[in-house]
Amino acid sequence: MKKLLAVLVVLLSLVVLAQEVIKIGAIFPLTGAAAATGVKIKYAVEVAQEIINGVYPEINLALAKSAGLPNLNGAKVQFVFADHQGNPELAMAEAERLIRNEKVVALIGCYQSSCTKPASQIAEKYGIPFVAGSSSSAALTERGLKWFFRIAPHDGMETVFFFNYLRYLNEKYNANIKRVAVVYIDNEYGVHAALMVKEKIKDFPEFSLVADVKYPVSATNVDIEVQKIKAAKPDAIFHASYIGDMTMFVKKYKEFNVVPKVVLSYCGGYQDPQFVVNLGKDADYFAGTNATTPALFAKMPILSKINEMYKAKSGVDIDGPTLEDFASALVIAEAINIAGTTEPEKILEVLKTHTFEAPYFVSEKIQFGSDGQNIYSASVMTQIFNGVYEAVWPEQYQTHEPVPQFPDWKKR
Amino acid sequence: MLAQLVVTGVLVGSVYSLVAVGLTLVWGLMDIINFAHGDFMMISMYTVFWLYALLKWDPLVSLPIAALVAAMIGLLTYRLVIKRVLNAPGLMALLATFGLSLFIRNFAQFLWSPNYRFVGESILSGKRLVISDVIVGIPQLVAALGSIGMTFAVALFIKKTKFGKAVQATAQSREIAELMGVDTEKVYMFTFALSGICVGVAGTLLSGIFPVYPESGAMYGLLAFVIVALGGFGNIWGAFYAGIMIGLAETIGGFYLGTQFKYAIAFLIYLLVLQFRPKGLFGW
Repeated sequence: MKKLLAVLVVLLSLVVLAQEVIKIGAIFPLTGAAAATGVKIKYAVEVAQEIINGVYPEINLALAKSAGLPNLNGAKVQFVFADHQGNPELAMAEAERLIRNEKVVALIGCYQSSCTKPASQIAEKYGIPFVAGSSSSAALTERGLKWFFRIAPHDGMETVFFFNYLRYLNEKYNANIKRVAVVYIDNEYGVHAALMVKEKIKDFPEFSLVADVKYPVSATNVDIEVQKIKAAKPDAIFHASYIGDMTMFVKKYKEFNVVPKVVLSYCGGYQDPQFVVNLGKDADYFAGTNATTPALFAKMPILSKINEMYKAKSGVDIDGPTLEDFASALVIAEAINIAGTTEPEKILEVLKTHTFEAPYFVSEKIQFGSDGQNIYSASVMTQIFNGVYEAVWPEQYQTHEPVPQFPDWKKR
Repeated sequence: MLAQLVVTGVLVGSVYSLVAVGLTLVWGLMDIINFAHGDFMMISMYTVFWLYALLKWDPLVSLPIAALVAAMIGLLTYRLVIKRVLNAPGLMALLATFGLSLFIRNFAQFLWSPNYRFVGESILSGKRLVISDVIVGIPQLVAALGSIGMTFAVALFIKKTKFGKAVQATAQSREIAELMGVDTEKVYMFTFALSGICVGVAGTLLSGIFPVYPESGAMYGLLAFVIVALGGFGNIWGAFYAGIMIGLAETIGGFYLGTQFKYAIAFLIYLLVLQFRPKGLFGW
């Protein structure tokens, strides 16, 4: 009888182990000014959770083939969502709550760099990993944190990418682009992007910075900002803006007849497909870096399948920042699986040393450098043509040739 | 360039004025700070957006409906929220409207998602006037003219009609007004509705220019507080002049001192005026 009971206890504990749920905190702006993007990211993280916890043999990803985390007896992963509302203090408080009360073993988030910064400080304090997906402020990986990792190319990398693209346009298309303006929102993301422009332009002496236009968060209009830009007569405008303000800028560019040669956007408003929905034909010819674009789906079957699952939830195609946060969810789950434990130090070791397969990115892999930055840039330069985000550079990913000269608004 | 900035400032300020006029009416009459005022505007913007998206109605055609919807929300707010806290300590009304604001924003997000939306093509969109070097967007011009017209109509209504006189009497002394036969309950209720109409018209006129999303009204609501305090509580023309002043300060100051400071300049003017004239520039 005693033996039978012992066997039963062992069996029962195995079942309990098998059904263990590993909680990972996911902090995003689910309400507030950036909620439009935050909610889409939440859908993407939910798709990642479905892929990890379900069986999807058609998706060639490490965690798609079996249910749960195979190295932890099929333990399921649960992303516990928290809403920072775009408020850095709230992001910090939510990080603390998730770690202390919800007992999460890692954190992902927070889209807005201004929130990622304090939330990741909390992860550092408690000694648990924090994997940021789309936050692009270079300052995040310059802090020397032990537990912080970031997938998106930071704005320093994106700035170099922008200048190299302008150089390519000048060399291949004789675009004669010289004067650059930077337009940015007054927060961590915008301010740091502008700082990077001022720093990196020194390595590209053929360009000069002719305008530096910072605008307030929650601006009710951007009339004077656009007038300042117009007065500076830039050939290229670099934008660090979110969807609402970016849309207002485009409307004002049209109204005040601002015709630069190119407009390039950092990870932010331009990448949101709502940009095209809001602006229709007026969105054409705008450009920016993006981790993905629907034009690439045909070339990337795994990405296409992920998008299929995502679109069923959100009603729209997956965009760059959303895909980067999707990646953060998969990477942290895979790191836990490889570590075979939720012990922080062992997960950290995996994050530092492992190269993660990421066939949904053009780079196809993710590997973190000593500062926690993904050394493989996931981005391509995209430009909108007839409402479609086409890949225009580097040439090997090209789905459409770039147009280096913005046509006059009247001739569209 | 200065001419362009002045024109832009006046156009921007005119719309601020109309949002503030609705707020000043309620504030002056009942000493109630309606934190949900900007959210009434957001609801009217959504009304315009949905009439456009579903029925292809131009915002100008939707204007009476959007104004009516905002008026109904004003009425309901009074009946369901304000009436219950009217005689309670001031903080209660403040908390009640603050709670209402949170409820409206979150309910809007629940119903329509947080996506930023724009009214696409309307009769006015993309049209502009070019006079010498000055460019004036027709949607913004119409918004400003509509705001000025509406402000004038409200001022005339309050000054000339029997109801307007009842509003003025109630604002001065509720008890005496009641002794003189004024139904102050009705005055309160319809003033809230009138406040809703003002902000409904402002929201409609803005819906072609500004994105529609659950937080659309937040910054406008905040600026309206500044304008009302600057112009004098309950003073319609005070709100109008203060609105223009804030629009000009934001535009000219922002252009020359740095666009990131444009709201800081507006708030600085407000703080300075409050230091030297706590009742506002046009208050009495």
